Amino acid sequence: MIKIVKRDQPSKAIFFFTPVLAIFLTLIAGGLIFYILGFKPFEALKFFFIVPIADKYGFSELLLKATPLCLIAIGLSFCFKSNNWNIGAEGQLTFGAIVSGGVALLFYDQEGFYILPIVILAGAIGGMIYASIPAILKTYFNTNEILVSLMLVYVSKLILDYLVVGPWSNPEGFNFPETRQFSDSARLPLLFEGLRIHAGIFLAFAAVVISWFVFYKTYLGFQMKVSGFSLKTAKYAGYKGKKMIILVFLISGACAGLAGVGEITGPIGQLHREVSPDYGFTAIIVAFLGRLHPVGIIFASLVVAITYLGAETAQIFMQIPKYTGQVFQGMILFFLLASDYLLFFKFKFIGSKK
Amino acid sequence: MNTKLKISNVTKIYPGCVANNNVSLEFNSGKIYALLGENGAGKSTLVKILSGVIIPDEGKIYLNKNILKLNSPSDAKKNDIGMVFQHFNLFETLSVFENLIIDSDEQRENLREKIDTIMKKYNFSIDLDVPVLNLSAGQKQKVEIIRCLIRSPKVLIMDEPTSVLTEQETSELFLSLKKFSEEGILIIYITHKLKEVMQLCDEVAVMRRGKLVSVSQIKNENMESLANKMVGQNLKTIKKKKENNSSEQLINITNLNFTSEDPFETNLVDINFSVNRGECLGIAGISGNGQSELFQVLSGEIISNKNSIKFNKNYIGDLNPQERREYLMAFSPEDRLEQAAIPQMAIFENVALNNFKSSNFFNNGLINENKIKEHSKKIISDFNVNTDNINLKSQFLSGGNLQKLIIGRELITSPDLLICFNPTWGLDVGAINYIHETLIKINEQNKSIILISTDTDELLKLSDKISVIHKGKLSKIMNAEEVTSEKLGILMGGGN
Repeated sequence: MIKIVKRDQPSKAIFFFTPVLAIFLTLIAGGLIFYILGFKPFEALKFFFIVPIADKYGFSELLLKATPLCLIAIGLSFCFKSNNWNIGAEGQLTFGAIVSGGVALLFYDQEGFYILPIVILAGAIGGMIYASIPAILKTYFNTNEILVSLMLVYVSKLILDYLVVGPWSNPEGFNFPETRQFSDSARLPLLFEGLRIHAGIFLAFAAVVISWFVFYKTYLGFQMKVSGFSLKTAKYAGYKGKKMIILVFLISGACAGLAGVGEITGPIGQLHREVSPDYGFTAIIVAFLGRLHPVGIIFASLVVAITYLGAETAQIFMQIPKYTGQVFQGMILFFLLASDYLLFFKFKFIGSKK
Repeated sequence: MNTKLKISNVTKIYPGCVANNNVSLEFNSGKIYALLGENGAGKSTLVKILSGVIIPDEGKIYLNKNILKLNSPSDAKKNDIGMVFQHFNLFETLSVFENLIIDSDEQRENLREKIDTIMKKYNFSIDLDVPVLNLSAGQKQKVEIIRCLIRSPKVLIMDEPTSVLTEQETSELFLSLKKFSEEGILIIYITHKLKEVMQLCDEVAVMRRGKLVSVSQIKNENMESLANKMVGQNLKTIKKKKENNSSEQLINITNLNFTSEDPFETNLVDINFSVNRGECLGIAGISGNGQSELFQVLSGEIISNKNSIKFNKNYIGDLNPQERREYLMAFSPEDRLEQAAIPQMAIFENVALNNFKSSNFFNNGLINENKIKEHSKKIISDFNVNTDNINLKSQFLSGGNLQKLIIGRELITSPDLLICFNPTWGLDVGAINYIHETLIKINEQNKSIILISTDTDELLKLSDKISVIHKGKLSKIMNAEEVTSEKLGILMGGGN
């Protein structure tokens, strides 16, 4: 007989084991889905997870996709660790891209070493401005940050739409919904000739290191940890709750904004309608799959990035719609939440003797 | 029609606590019964057993000679037992009518007619088609009552029904209850308010620490006798030695008010008191009368008017807890596991929650872990916390050790004033004694204490002065020598 018993304490090992289990279960379920669709499961999974990263180009693409995911997830972990549910990173990314893109367009016919830093900074500030809206509404008007941040995503996308179709559209662009190309000085440098991986990855690395330091070495990190466990305790300890809410939203917004900068000044080089394939939403999965731990988030972003690539390969080789990638992302989150049950409960096998 | 409800030898044991210890009771229709007891006496457990929410470990329940099997709340409903809980179970956004029919399979038209009849009969006037959120607390309660009446119950159980009602709503409720009783519904009324028992009930059963202490006719009781039974007879006055009477005022509260937006919180009305150096002021009261709010106002979790709190010649009413700590105040809240400490964090991290500037736990925004750990070791040895591993998660400490850690954390900064709220709640005797000795020691060092507690014995033992809080108002402050537990009991129940 199997009995389910409550754990006295979630062990460290199980804490990091459940994400691995979730990925494993996702592969099985994914294989099953492919089988039902009439494909050979192992072959399909190979197209999905191995073929895309088998060569140098593929690996560069992997890092290219993982960069924004990692950057945004790091920012989100500041919010999530302190009990603030910012799910509007996609909007903050978009708005960061709008602001930095706008600045880059100002310099479209100029060259100079100073341009890129200004563009990057503008993106971070854009993201912060956008993230401050749900933060301020939450602290001063008691609104629900989940709803506000989510709804603002669609607002930012519509603003972007308006700009690239209207005032900012390329005068020589035959009415395509896109802006001019940025000048080379406004572009993040490529790391290798012929590959798309760009210097934005260093921003992600910096974010990882800084966030690790803040989480585990600073007073702010300590306050976030306490607030994450119990807001009542944070209040009792006398932490300035409102200040902290605004701060973590600003950090999170800045990271999402930077991810937006990375997209438009890296691979894209201009603003158009689709600056992000929902990186801001997918990063929520990344943050939780990585257990809100900076190193965990690196691994999680790589795993989830594969689903983007795999979906594209699968579309090309197997004629499966690329939205399969989202199915896989959904399954990862689903299985992660399900296996988190193991954090608090364990199975006990009881012999039949009585 | 006569209804007879019998509880026979009911026992319910929770880990570490016997909630109901072999309780037997008999109720007959036509009378209103009071089930009286302090918080944690076992009333709620007994009621939950009667309404099918909890299944007892032992014992049986009979209704008119039939054994009842109450495995779920719906079993209770089937057996004509109706229950009105303290906190309403209504859907705020649905209309009154929708709330009433939600768990019934009868035809809508029939029900409307039935409800109208009931309302006419008992003089209830509620618009059935407005959403419940527009109703007052008293009206919501009536909706709950109607929901029971629809099923024409034989037994109606009311759990602390007046805690959210105004005086007028309370007397309306009493009139209705008397009417129900006359019509043959057996009424069990759970409360800790003596006045209400005297006003409303015919018979009273008193519970204390899971046991049934007495069953008696109201006409043979008075408020003192009931208070005594409720609180317990052990009135031994273990008093601390009182030597010098310092007359230097340390903290002075003037005209402090707090109005809450939450209907389940208590408003504080015109609080005035002062505490001298070396003195312990005890604040007695039945829980839920504003103690938690008073604690939060004193600790700075709720900020009030700057001038309403004067501490050591400074006005500090508008400061948060951390800022108040810098003025040498310390706080030990009631809830050890959810507020005073974080069980999932290590002992030393919990120590860092009392962030006192001069203890240098955090320099320039960085955690100074060595300093915190050094400090934690000192607390553990100075306050007899039974572990030597400061990296241990505090959830592995027993309640007593955790409380020692908390009190130690608060005291190691040698504050002038310690404010504590139920410091020994749920602890074993050894730990209680240790905490009591520690508190007495603080006074001997000419430092002051405000002790908010629901434990009357504790208050009589430790306090120099005592006041009682009732419905957010403080009684006059009395010298502890002149106070007896009977007197406290009466004041706690709202008497004079």
